Amino acid sequence: MTEAMLWYPIVIPALCGVAALALPRRLPDGVALLATTANLLLCLRLYGNEMNVSSPWAGFGILLELRLYHFSAFILAAAACFALLISLYSLCFMKGRAHGNQFYAYLLISLAMVNGAVLADNLLLMLFFWEGLLCTIFGFIAIGGREAFRSAIKAFVLVGVSDILMMVGMAMTGFLAGTLTISRIHLAPDSPVAGVAFLLLVMGATSKAGSMPFHSWIPDAAADAPLPFMAFLPAALEKLLGIYFLARITLDLYPLSPDSWLSPFLMTLGVVTILLAVMMALIQKEYKRLLSYHAISQVGYMILGIGTAVPVGIVGGIFHMINHAMYKSCLFLTGGAVEVQAGSTDLRKLGGIGRRMPVTFGCFIVAAAAISGVPPFNGFFSKELVYDGALERHWIFYMGALAGSFLTAASFLKLGHAAYLGKPRGEKSLSDVREAPPGMLVPMLAIAGGCILFGVANPLPINNLILPIIGPERAAGHHFAGLPQNPFLIVMTVLVLLGAWLNHVYGVRKSGSGVGASDHIHHAPVLQPIYDRAERRFFDPYDLGMKAVQGISRLAWWIDRGNDWLFNVLAVGTARFFSRTVRGLHDGSYSTYMLWVALGAILMGLYLNA
Amino acid sequence: MKTNALVWAAMFVPIAGSFLLPLAGGISKALRNLGAFLLVGTSLLCSGLLVPTVQAGTTLRISCPFLGGGQLFQADSLSVFMALVSMLVGAVIVLYSMGYISHYDNQNEYYFMVVLFLGSMMGIIYAANLILIYLFWEITAVACWRLIGFFREPLCVVRADKAFLITGFGAFVMLIGFIMVYGQYGSFDLEAIKSASTAHPVANLAVFLILFGILSKSATLPLHSWLPDAGVAPTPVTALLHAAVLVKIGVYVYARLFVATFTIDPLWNQVVPLVAGVSALVSGGAALVETDMKRIIAYSTISQLGFILLGLSIGNPLGFAGGLLYILMHSIAKGGLFLCAGVVEQKLHVKDITRLGGLIRTMPVTAVSFLLCAFSVMGIPPFGGFFSKYLVIAGSLKSGDYPIAAIFTLGAFLTVIYLFRLFAMIFLGEAKTTPVTEGAPVMVASVAFLALLSLAGGLLINYPSSYVQTTVQQILGVMP
Repeated sequence: MTEAMLWYPIVIPALCGVAALALPRRLPDGVALLATTANLLLCLRLYGNEMNVSSPWAGFGILLELRLYHFSAFILAAAACFALLISLYSLCFMKGRAHGNQFYAYLLISLAMVNGAVLADNLLLMLFFWEGLLCTIFGFIAIGGREAFRSAIKAFVLVGVSDILMMVGMAMTGFLAGTLTISRIHLAPDSPVAGVAFLLLVMGATSKAGSMPFHSWIPDAAADAPLPFMAFLPAALEKLLGIYFLARITLDLYPLSPDSWLSPFLMTLGVVTILLAVMMALIQKEYKRLLSYHAISQVGYMILGIGTAVPVGIVGGIFHMINHAMYKSCLFLTGGAVEVQAGSTDLRKLGGIGRRMPVTFGCFIVAAAAISGVPPFNGFFSKELVYDGALERHWIFYMGALAGSFLTAASFLKLGHAAYLGKPRGEKSLSDVREAPPGMLVPMLAIAGGCILFGVANPLPINNLILPIIGPERAAGHHFAGLPQNPFLIVMTVLVLLGAWLNHVYGVRKSGSGVGASDHIHHAPVLQPIYDRAERRFFDPYDLGMKAVQGISRLAWWIDRGNDWLFNVLAVGTARFFSRTVRGLHDGSYSTYMLWVALGAILMGLYLNA
Repeated sequence: MKTNALVWAAMFVPIAGSFLLPLAGGISKALRNLGAFLLVGTSLLCSGLLVPTVQAGTTLRISCPFLGGGQLFQADSLSVFMALVSMLVGAVIVLYSMGYISHYDNQNEYYFMVVLFLGSMMGIIYAANLILIYLFWEITAVACWRLIGFFREPLCVVRADKAFLITGFGAFVMLIGFIMVYGQYGSFDLEAIKSASTAHPVANLAVFLILFGILSKSATLPLHSWLPDAGVAPTPVTALLHAAVLVKIGVYVYARLFVATFTIDPLWNQVVPLVAGVSALVSGGAALVETDMKRIIAYSTISQLGFILLGLSIGNPLGFAGGLLYILMHSIAKGGLFLCAGVVEQKLHVKDITRLGGLIRTMPVTAVSFLLCAFSVMGIPPFGGFFSKYLVIAGSLKSGDYPIAAIFTLGAFLTVIYLFRLFAMIFLGEAKTTPVTEGAPVMVASVAFLALLSLAGGLLINYPSSYVQTTVQQILGVMP
C-alpha cells in the first residue's frame, strides 16, 4: 500500500482509454472489461484506508493533492462497480454498432475523470477532472448518430456554462479561505461574497447531478446517445459525483445550518426540480425519455434531503444518491435490453413483452418499485429519511416531495403496463422477441439484487457507509436504519402509493390502454396548454439562453459594424473631403498662389510680433 | 560574451537571413523553403538556449551609446518567454506554408516577408529602448502590409492599406507618447525610465497615447476593425498575424512597458480591464453572427486578446501570470484553429460556413485537431487554456473587481458557443460540398502537432507554469 497507488485509479483507466482508441476493432471491448475489473479490485483494495498525497503542480495554490478517506473510498468503489457492470453490458449492446473504439475509450476516460474528481483534495484539481468530463460527454453523445451532435453540443454548452460558474465560485472560495485545499477550507456563508461563492459551487454540483435549470440536455441525450452512456453517466456516476460534492460543500466547505437562508433555498430548488421534472416524465411516451426525466426529478430528493441541514435529511439524501444510482441505471439497462430485443423503445409500439423477457421484466419491477418508494426496496427507506427531514423543517416541503412520489409511482405503473403488459399496438409483431443475452442480464440482475439488499438490509449501508460521512457528532441521538419511527410517514406513503394505483386503474379505464394511463392528467384543463408549450420547448433553459445570447450578439454585431463604419466610411470620407477642398485651391493660377504667399507672410509676421 | 551572441543571433539571423531568401529562391525552391525554416529554427534555438540563464535570474544587457541611453537590447525571462512562444508557433506556420503556399505566385516575397516579420518581432521583444521598439514595430507593420495584400486583388490591397493605416496611425500616436516620456525623464532607455518613474509616475496623457498604439496593434475595440478584414490574406499569414505574433506584440509591449518598466497611475488598472471586457464581449458577440470562417476566428482572437489584456492589466501577480500563460496557450490553440481553417479553405475555396458541412467524415484529422484546439481556446480541461482562463478570471476576482469578472465569465460562455457553432457548421451535419480528401501531409501534421501541444500544455502545466512564476517574481518582485 503505497501513496503512488492513489494515482492508479486515475492513470490506469485513462491510459487504457487512450489505448482503446488506437487498438483494432473488437479488442477495446476486452481492454475495457479488463481495465474496469482492475479498477474495481484496486478500489476495493483502497477501501478502508486513509491516505493523503500532495505534490506541486501548476503553482498558484494548484497542487496535485489526493485524499482517500471513507467518503471518497465509498464513491470510488460504487463508481467502480457501475463501470464494470456497464462495460460488461456494453459488450452485448455495442456489438455490431459503429464507433465501438470511441465508446470504450470515452467510458474508460470518463471513469478516470470521475475517480480523479472524487479523490482530488484541491478545488482546481477537482475541477480539472470534473470539467474534463465535458469532452467525453460530448464524444459519447456525438457517436450516437448523424444528427446526435446537436444534443451533444447542447449538453456541452449547458454543462460547460455551469462548470464555468463553478470555477468562479471555486476561485472566490479559494481567496476567502486562503487555500485551495478542500480539507482545509471551513467557511461560514454569511458575507455576501461567501454567499455568492456558495451558490455558485452549489449550482455547479447540482447541475452535474442533473438538477434544474441545467438539466434539459438529459432527455435529448437519452434519445440520441448510446444507451449504456445514459446508465453510466447521467444515471449513476454524475449523480454520485454531483451529490458527493454537494455533500462536501454543505458539510465541510460551508457547513450549512438550518437557520441559514441557504437551507430553504436548497430545499425549494429540490422540490421544484422534483415536481417539474416528474410532471414532464408522466406524459412521456418513450421509454428512455421517460426515464431521463426521472433522472432529473430524483435529484430533487437528494438536494431536498441535504438542504434540510438536519441529520436525518442529510443521511436520507446521501442514501438516496447511491440508491438512485442503482435503480436508475438498472432501469436504463432494461430499456437497452428492450431496445435491442424488441427494436423500439416507443411505448405506443411496445406491449406484452413481459412474458417473453421475464428476467428483464423482473428486474424492471424491482427497480421501478424501488424508485416509487415501495417497501422493502432501497428507495423506500431513503425516501422515508428524506421525508422525515423535510417534515422536520416544514410541512410544505414534505407535501411537495409526497406529490412527487405520487406522480413517480403513477408514471412507472404506466411505463410497466405499456411496455411489458397488454398487447403490442405497433404494426410490427413482437411475438418473436426473446430474452436478452446473459451478458446484458447479469448486470441488470446484479443491480436489482443490490436494490433488494440495500432495502432489506438497509442498516448495513446506512451504518457502515453513510454515518461515517456525517460524523458521530451529528449522528448522535438519532436512529436512521430500519422503518421510520414516525408512523404518520408510513401511513402517508402507503396512501400515496394506493392513490397512484387507483389513478392508474382510472386512467387505463378511461383511455383503454396502458400507454394512455396518464392522458387524463395530460389533457386536464389547466395543464394541457402548459404541457403543450413545454413539449414545444418554450421553457427549455437552453433555448431561452440561446435566444438571449442571439440578442446580445446582434447588438454586439451592430456595435462592431458601427465601429467599422467609422473607419471605412467616415475616416475615408473625411480624408476625401479635405483632399477635394485642398485640391480646389491648387488651380494653377499664379495670382492665387501669390495671394497665399502674401497671406502666409502676414500671418507669420503677426505671430512673430505677438 | 557567448550568451550575448545568442541574443544577437536570435534577432539578426532571421532579419539578415530573410534578405537572402529571394536569392536562394532563384537557385531552388526547396533550398529557400528549408532556409526559411532553418532561420526561424535557429532563432528559436538561440532563445531556447537562453532559458537556463534567464531562469537563474540574470538579465542580459547589450549596451552601446544610443539616443540618450546606454542600452540597446536586454534578455530577461519575460522576453525569452515571448520569443519562444512566437518562434515556436512561427516555425510551425513556416512548415505549414510549404504545403499551403506552393500553388501561388510570389513565393520568394512571401518567405522574405514572413521571416523578416518574425525577425523584427524578435527585435521588439529584446529591445531595451523605446526608439528601437518603435523601429521594429514599424518594420512589422510594413511586412504585415505586404503579406495581407499578398494576392494583389483590389480588395486585398484595400484591406492591407486599412490595416497599415490603422496600425501605422497608432504607432505614430505611440511615438508621440514616447517623446513625451523622453521629455519627462530625458531618456529612451527602459532601465533609466524604470528607476526614474518610481518617484514620478508617467504622465497620464503619455500613457494614453502609448496605449492607443498598443490597442491598435493588438486589435482591441475600438481599433480592431482591421483584423477581421485582414482575413483576405493567405491563411498561414492570418495565423501568423492574428494568432501567434502580430497581435501579441501589443500585449507584450503592454507587459514590458506598463507592468515591467513604468510606474503608472493605478487608475489604469480599472480602465484597461474595462476596455478589454467590452472588447471581449462585442467581438465575441460578432463572432456569433459572422458567417465567414476566417472572420469568425479573427473575432475570436479579438475576444481572447481581451482576456490576455485583462490578466496583464488587472494589477496583481495572479492575473499577470494568467495573462502570460494565456499568451502561450492562445498562440498555440488559435494558430491551430487558423491552420485547420486553412486546410479546409485550400481544398474547397469556400470560406462561408453556411455552405460547408460534414467534413469530419473526409477530413478526420483536421476536424479532430480543430476540436482539440477549440477546447483549449474555450478553456476546457485537460487542455492548456483551462489554466490560463482560470488564472485570468481568478486574478480579476482577487482584485475584488466583480463586475469585470462577470463580464469575462459571460465572454467565456460566448467563446464556448461561437466555437461550437463554427465547428458544427464546418465539420458536422450534412455535407454540402463535393467530397474532398485531407490536405497535404505537412499541413495536416502541423495542425495535429499544435492540437497535441495544446493537450500537453494542460497535462504538463507544471513546466510553463514554473517558468511563468519565475518571470512574475522577477518583474513584480513578489511570489504569485
